[in-house]
Amino acid sequence: MELTDADLITRVLVDDDHHAFGELVRRHQSAVRGLLRQLTRTDLALADDLSQETFIRAYKHIRSFRGEARFSTWLYRIAYNCFREDARRRKELVGIDDQQLQAEHDPQTADAGLRHDLMHALSLLPLPERTAVLLCCQNGVSHDEAARILDIPLGTVKTNVLRGREKLKKTLAAWGPN
Amino acid sequence: MNQEDPLDRQLREAAPYIEDNGFTARVLRQLPAPRQRGRSARPVILIGMSLLASAVAYVLSDGGRFVVVGITRLTVLPSLWIFLLALGAGILVMTGGLVAAMSKTSELRS
Repeated sequence: MELTDADLITRVLVDDDHHAFGELVRRHQSAVRGLLRQLTRTDLALADDLSQETFIRAYKHIRSFRGEARFSTWLYRIAYNCFREDARRRKELVGIDDQQLQAEHDPQTADAGLRHDLMHALSLLPLPERTAVLLCCQNGVSHDEAARILDIPLGTVKTNVLRGREKLKKTLAAWGPN
Repeated sequence: MNQEDPLDRQLREAAPYIEDNGFTARVLRQLPAPRQRGRSARPVILIGMSLLASAVAYVLSDGGRFVVVGITRLTVLPSLWIFLLALGAGILVMTGGLVAAMSKTSELRS
């Protein structure tokens, strides 16, 4: 019978079981790394560094995990904080507005593939909208959980999701109805 | 029945599963070393105090004379009484152990 995340966390807390923590990492590494790759605009090396930092922090602070939300939600919060701290260091917290989005979308020069255009458009969204769309639309996180991860009001999450989706739909509209 | 938004589906499909490829191993290598078990001073203190308490009790009880008196009294008890005493002591110890285990578990889960 497969152990639940709660069982593995208990083993880490009680026995400092590295095997149990390794299993937690294996289960959640794809989601965390995927989120960070999108946030870092596909800088794979940076995303993996931040992902490692995320899991190391999770291990060191595992006693602060209350179990009120899903473990993945808690990890996303740590990952997002890691990203924000790194971006602050790199001073990359500037987003791109609508006009810039329009100007950058040029079907003549855009690489082939709806998927690639979608990811490109996603990378151009302002950080708050990009993060909200990644969490709620791509990773299936509820608006409530996203508000907790990002430490912002629920209404702000909903607004960011709405705006982000509208901008992405403009990009997809160029590909025609599907 | 809710139909999934096409944009959500495209976003999910655009983010495929990322293979581990040694990522977990790299994370585990950076973790602090696991806590060493059995290095706590608690067992030493408990055993030491038990031995000390036993020595004091032996000295104060005139060489443990009370033990001999107690055993003598036990041997004259009916067998049923001895059985019930042993059963009661066993149940008491088991209950104490269960309560301790359950309170530790609820402490960890909270």
